[in-house]
This record gives sequence, C-alpha cells and structure tokens, in this order.
Amino acid sequence: MWLNPLTLKKLKRFRAIKRGYYSFVILASMVFLSLFAELFINSRALVVKYNDKFYFPTFGAIIPGTEFGLDYEYETRYRLLKEKFKEEGGKNWLIMPLVPYNAYESISREGIYPPYPPSFEFKNYFGTDTSGRDILARLVYGFRIAIWFSIVLTTLTYVVGIAIGCMMGYWAGTFDIVMQRIIEIWSNVPFLYVIMIISSVLVPNFGMLLAIMVFFGWHGMTFYMRASTYREKSREYVLAAQSLGASPVRIIFRHILPNSISIIVTFVPFAIASGITSLTALDYLGFGLPPPTPSWGELLEQGTSNMQAVWIVSSVVSMMVVVLTMVTFIGEAIREAFDPKKFSIYQ
Amino acid sequence: MLKLQILIFFLAIGCTKKSSDDTSIKTESASEEVSSLATGTLPKNLKWLTNDKDPLFADPDAKKGGEYQDFLMSFPLTLRVVGPDSNHGYRGHILDNFMSLVGIHPNTENVIPEIATHWAYGEDKKTMYYKINPAARWSDGKPITADDFLFTLEFYRSKHIIAPWYNNHYTETVENVIKYDDHTISVSLTRPKPDLHLYANIAPFPKHYYGKIDDDFTKKYNWEIVPNSGPYIIQNIKKGKSYEIVRHKDWWAKDMHYYKNRFNVDTFKYKVIRSIDNAYVYFLKGQLDTFGIVYPQYWHEKTKGGDFAKGYINKLWFYNDAPRGAYGFYLNLAHPHLRDQNVRLGIAHALNVDKVSKTLLRGDYERQSQHYDGYGKYTNTKITARPFDLDKANEYFNKAGWTTRGPDGIRVKDGKKLSFEITYGAKHITERLAIIKEEAKRAGLELKLKILDSGAAFKNGLEKKHEISLTAWSTSLRPDYWQHYHSENANKTQTNNWSNVADKELDALIMKERESIDEKERIPLSHEIQQKLHDLSVFIPTWSIPYFREAYWRWWRLPKIPATRLSGTAFSPFDMSTGGLFWFDQDRYDETKAAMKSGKTFPETVDIVTTFRVKAGN
Repeated sequence: MWLNPLTLKKLKRFRAIKRGYYSFVILASMVFLSLFAELFINSRALVVKYNDKFYFPTFGAIIPGTEFGLDYEYETRYRLLKEKFKEEGGKNWLIMPLVPYNAYESISREGIYPPYPPSFEFKNYFGTDTSGRDILARLVYGFRIAIWFSIVLTTLTYVVGIAIGCMMGYWAGTFDIVMQRIIEIWSNVPFLYVIMIISSVLVPNFGMLLAIMVFFGWHGMTFYMRASTYREKSREYVLAAQSLGASPVRIIFRHILPNSISIIVTFVPFAIASGITSLTALDYLGFGLPPPTPSWGELLEQGTSNMQAVWIVSSVVSMMVVVLTMVTFIGEAIREAFDPKKFSIYQ
Repeated sequence: MLKLQILIFFLAIGCTKKSSDDTSIKTESASEEVSSLATGTLPKNLKWLTNDKDPLFADPDAKKGGEYQDFLMSFPLTLRVVGPDSNHGYRGHILDNFMSLVGIHPNTENVIPEIATHWAYGEDKKTMYYKINPAARWSDGKPITADDFLFTLEFYRSKHIIAPWYNNHYTETVENVIKYDDHTISVSLTRPKPDLHLYANIAPFPKHYYGKIDDDFTKKYNWEIVPNSGPYIIQNIKKGKSYEIVRHKDWWAKDMHYYKNRFNVDTFKYKVIRSIDNAYVYFLKGQLDTFGIVYPQYWHEKTKGGDFAKGYINKLWFYNDAPRGAYGFYLNLAHPHLRDQNVRLGIAHALNVDKVSKTLLRGDYERQSQHYDGYGKYTNTKITARPFDLDKANEYFNKAGWTTRGPDGIRVKDGKKLSFEITYGAKHITERLAIIKEEAKRAGLELKLKILDSGAAFKNGLEKKHEISLTAWSTSLRPDYWQHYHSENANKTQTNNWSNVADKELDALIMKERESIDEKERIPLSHEIQQKLHDLSVFIPTWSIPYFREAYWRWWRLPKIPATRLSGTAFSPFDMSTGGLFWFDQDRYDETKAAMKSGKTFPETVDIVTTFRVKAGN
C-alpha cells in the first residue's frame, strides 16, 4: 500500500465514524448508479425480441418504428409496442425498465390533466410534474447532472485555487500582495448575480455554466492554502529539504501539500453541497441549464407554485434534504478523522 | 462562500416570477416635417357630431366608497409618463387618468365624448375639429382650454422629454393643432387615415403646471404629481413600497352621461409584492381584493374548496371580444433553411400546439387561426391554423430535400441537422415548449429552447438575431401589415418585420391597403394579404385567450353584465373606456365578515358570462 501509515490511520478513523461512513457508501453508490440510470429509468426498452432477432435499444442511435413493422419513421414508442406484442400474443416480447419513462416526454391521459399524482398502476411512482413528465425520472437525471456538475466544479476550482494559494504562500512577497488584492476584489463580485446577468443574455450550456462558475469561484480555497503553505514553509523539515537542494516543485508537492491535505479534504464535501445548491438556485430562478434539462431547481420552482400538487415539492425537497444531509455527515466525519487531536477540550 | 450561497438560495425562494406574454412596439412611417402651432378660422359647413344615444353599461345601483387593495410586481422607477424608464407596467395608473378628446364606447365602438363635447370630420379626411367642454377642469381646479392642447403637441415634440417615439409620432403622424378659440380646436394628421378619431386625438397635459419644458425635464418630474383630468390621482407615495390612488370627490365629469355610476371606489392601495405566488396567499387572506386566475391551474385547481366553496370568494369567467395580439412563432427568413417555403410548411405541421392546449392548458385556450385574428370584418375567417400532422410534415420536409434521419432521429441534409433555436422571454412558456419540442422530434425536427430575459428576448428579435421567435404583439383596433410584413422593414434592425419577409406581390398589396381610406376596398385587400401570409407560412399562430377569469371577495359588486366587450378585466380601475364599473358594498362586507366569524356559508358563486362570446374560428 502506497499510503503512509498516518493517512491509513485517518481512513480507519473515518470508517469508525459510522454515520459518515455509511453516508459515504450510500452517496457513492448513488453517484455510481446514476451513471447507468438509463437502465432503470428510460422510455426505451432494455431488450426487444422481434422476429427472432434481439435488439438492445438503451444506448446508441434511435431505432425507427419501421424496424419493428410499425408505420412511422420516428423513434419506436416501446410502451405501445409492448402492448401491441401482448395483444398479438406471438413470440415477440420486450422488457421495459423499472420506470418506463424518460425525463422529457410528457404523458397525457384522457379526461384528467397533469400534474398526475403518484401511481403504481402507471408506474409514475412519484407522480408527474405540471407538464406530465415523470418526477422520479427528472429527479434521478437531475441528480446525475447536479452531482457531476458539482464534482467537476469542485475539482476545477480546487486545482486553480490550490495552485494559486500555494504559489502565494511559497513565493510570498510582491506576488502574494498583488494576488491578495486581486482576490479581495474578485471575492466581492456578487457571483450569483453575475451569472444571472450573463445567462439572461445568452443561454449557457453545461460547459459554459461550469466555466463561468469556475471563473468567479476559484478564489475560495486560495487563502486557506496560502496560510497553510506559509505555516508549513517555516517548519524545519521544509528548511531541511531546501538546504538539501530540493526544487520548489518538489517541496510543494512532496512536503507541503501532503501536510495540508486535511484542510483540503475537510472542505470538499461542503464544496460539493454548495455546488449542488448553487446549480439548484440558478435553475430555480430560471438562469441555469437550458430547459427542458431535468433539474431540481426547476422541480422546486414548479412545486412551490403548485402547492396543491404536494407530491412535486415533497419529492424534490426530501431528495435534497437526504443528499445534503449525507454530504454534511461525510464532511463531519472527515473533519473528525483528519483532526490530529483525538479529543478536544473546550474551556 | 457556502453560507453566502445558502443565504442567496433561500432569499431566492421568495423571489419574483414575473410573466408577460405581451410586448409591444410601434413604428410609424416617415414624411417631411411640417410647421405646427397656429390659430385660424373655422371652416364653414362643419357637421358637428356628439353621442349620448349609445347604451350605458354602468350599474345605476353602484355606490361610492370603499378601499381596494392591489399589488405591484415591482415599484415604478418614475412617475413620469414619457421619457426614460416611463414605459413600465403601471404607467396606466397615471396615464389612464389623463382623459382624451374623445373615446370609444366599449360595446359599440362608436365615438363618445371625453373632454370634447362635439367633434367634426374635415373634408380633407385628415383633420378633426373639436369643441372642448367648458366644464372641463384639471384636478387643481384650473380650466382645460385649447392652449393645453397646443402645449401638449409642443411637449411631445420637445427633445427634452427624451422620448424619440413620441417626438417622431407627433411630428410625422400628427401635423398640427390649431386653436380657433379657447374651446375650439382642430387636430390634423400628415396624411388621410381611416378611423380618424383613433389618430387625430390627444390627451392633454396641463400647460399652467409645466410652463416651459427644459433639459432638466426628466430629472425634475420623476416624482412630481401632475394635475390631471381623470377621476383619480396618485398620492402617499412611499418609494419602493406602496402608493395610493385616490378619487377626486368633485371630478368635473362625474355626472356626464357615460361616466355616471362609474369610478366608485374611494381609494386604491397598491403595495409591492414581488411574486405571484405570494400575492395569491395575500389574496386568500383577504389582504388583496381580487386576483386574476386566467391560468388553468388557478381556475381549476387552486381556487377549489376553502373560502371559494363557502361563497366568501366569487369567481368570474368573462368572454370578451377584443382584437388579440398575434401570439406565435415568427420564422426568420434570413436563416438559410427557413428560406425554403416547404421547410416552413413542414414546421407548421410539426408543432403540436393542440397537444399543449389539450393537456397543459386543459382545453381552455383557443388556437389562433392567423396573425390577424379578432379584427371583425377585416379578418379573413376562411383561414385556419395548420394542424399538427406528421404525414404532411414528412411530405413537406421530404419535398425540401430533408429525407434522411440521423442517429438521433433528426433529419439531416448535407451534414447539417434540421435544427432551430426558439427564442422566448417568459418563464411560464417553457413547459409548453417542452411538449412541442418532444413532439417535433417525431417529425425529425429538433427545436432548441432559448429562454432570455423578456427585454433581451425582445431586443434579440429587433436585431433579427433569432431563428424562430415566440412572441406576442400588442395590437390596435385595425390590422397593420406594413410594420410586420413590408420589405421596407425586412433585413434591418429595430423594425417589426421579424420574419424578414420581402415579397414584391405582398408589398404591393400592403401599400394599396395602407393608402386606401375606403373600407369597401380595404376589407377585401386585408383578406387577400392575410391569405398570402398564410400561404407563405412565416408566422405559426399559437394560443389566444378570448376571455378573462377573476376571483374576488364577495363584497365587491359588479353590474349585471360585469364588463364590456373590450374589457380586459372586470376590475379595471381607471380606464376611461371600460373601467370603474365595480363598487364596494358595505352591507355585504359586514355580512361576510360576520359569517366568516360564525362559520355561516353562502352558496358557491361561479359566473360564466358569454354575452360577448365569439364563436371559435371567427
């Protein structure tokens, strides 16, 4: 094992904190499973057997209806096809995913109007939104977008923030002073408002929104890293490394960073939670990803203005609470595990 | 950063959702400048007209008094009615209380007196003569005279008001105002126009109050209360929070034929509530007196049970019959793919507007049949909107050469996708477009939704940067083809020809219609133009709402026919033509409050009034 014994000890301590550890396991599996959400929640069939030939429509190009002997060229409507196969009673069959809806299609039923309440009969387990789209599908796909958005956002802001913070702390002097002033100015830019202004003029896609948010959010970590680099730099082991002739790069990566890791790690879960809330807030206000991208913010907006359809707001709020609480538990556990003092006495 | 974001997030939950289907702009034609302000001698043989024969629409039992609570989505940036920042949603609170020379009867559309008692049409077909009512007074007691009208023209032409549209309109459309004596004037246009009384008509400002207009105008009058001629005036302004609009107890026109028993409420109180959802909660608590519930979710879902079932709050569904703004998709012909007529026809058949109507809108909204709906005789009723029809869409797209489909089911030609961006500016439209987008995929057409802030969306259209724009235009009493479809306005920015149509044949028809002042000639021309536009398929009509729906506490009373043919709401407070019909009933108020305490209920009241309903497709 390449990890040093201290780190192993910290991980062990993390595992010992049950609440945080199980939250981590659950959340990690949710994130992993969300990568394959198409297998569980999708309007495309998992497997179709038609005229002794197997089809796996889940991933890849659409299969036009003509392929299955239907009279249209657009994508096969598998739910209807399934019923057709059933009626014909032949050898053809298909398997639909657990939730046979995607996040975009709106369902209409004769005589009643969306939002439809939760129903096992129609497999809308969480009901539908005001346009008749399945809420579970939108929640899950919205989660996938939000969490990956947040993970990428955190990684990018940390890479930039840590690099600049370390440079400030290590080089000190003029560079430090100039960067401090720049960061002070930058951190006073009202970041959500800037995004709103930008996205009211042009509609941002995933990459663009990410770029904007990194551009205005990179400074978050700099000051912590700067302080910690300053502190470590004056320690004897760094002086020793310097006198042995180690290069600044080696000193930063081999000596300073590993000793500052606890600060970085402690902040990560909260940064991820904040990434999710920012995206949700922007979507709520209509300045986030372009519609009809599934999103929690959009569901929350629908829910709050349609309180009579309580299943909309309740499902999205509970989902948010669950995910954000788990993230907080993980954060707490990490902080505790990485704290060098096992016991603190407050006086 | 985390704390800040969470704070912003929670603040955001209480934030505004402002929706507007409506944007408006006007342009006018150019002609040489002409001299103004003059006095002269009245032509002989003028046939003076007046009108006190049309039916009244106010209720003789209406009583004066009461307070009416309403809300503002945002506080106005200025009280001026012209110049920078003045074109906000609540300008009417001030401007509606400036009366014009003549008005329109909201049921018969005949001319009725406002400040003028009599009027006459000049032989040149571009001049109207007016006799000003000697009783007409400003709210500070000074008389309204011919000089005020001369001043108003000067005012609108002044560079100091920083209002180019008014500068332009009052030099290039209105030629001059002539004073014959203190109570006789004429207003001339630069060229003959049909329905002269709609154009050669002025709502005056008080000369004695403004004096001379200087370059400090826009600053000086930001928060000044200007004496007016109408029934109410603004008071008690708390900037950013609230204001009141109070009835003139001795308004000079209060006993005039068409204004009797109208404008009954003593005080209108407006306060800022930045979100519709919050405002609705205020309404349910009785802190607002009425609430517009035109959206299907409100009418069908949110106004069930509770104080509605107990009869404390009443519901009204009123069909009106006014020209409707053209609400639909404007296809920009500057886009290379949209230039192909077959593509446009294919798109028209690929947009499932009906599915949205049937599901999301609960079949409550009607489909518009074309751009010029609701203009009475001027509307060609043979035209109907193209229905969603995949076979026809296929046929047209194939004809245009878009025959193959890519791996995502979208048609491709020469390596390009059949894909267009739809620009729009109102958040609540997104859910409708989401359905249309999904349905269009079946025809192999990809639509990308581009929501912008409403101002930015409008600007985007004016600059012709859109591919397809979903927009509504406000409208006037007669169709105006030139600004939307003449080649003069195509392919240049800041004009209203958003489709960039430049068609010689169409141009000729439009000019012929525009220059004719004979109704017999204009009506068939109108029909022909509309047919031509339909064939070109440059505009795809969507929904129209031929009614309004409102909820109100039961102590508010309305006439037997609660509103007029042209009304946009039964609770229009100040509009000289349609407004001020409702009144506060103290007895009912006491009765209802007592009932609410004791738990007594009244029968649930839902009125559906179809007096002015027009059959669909007309």
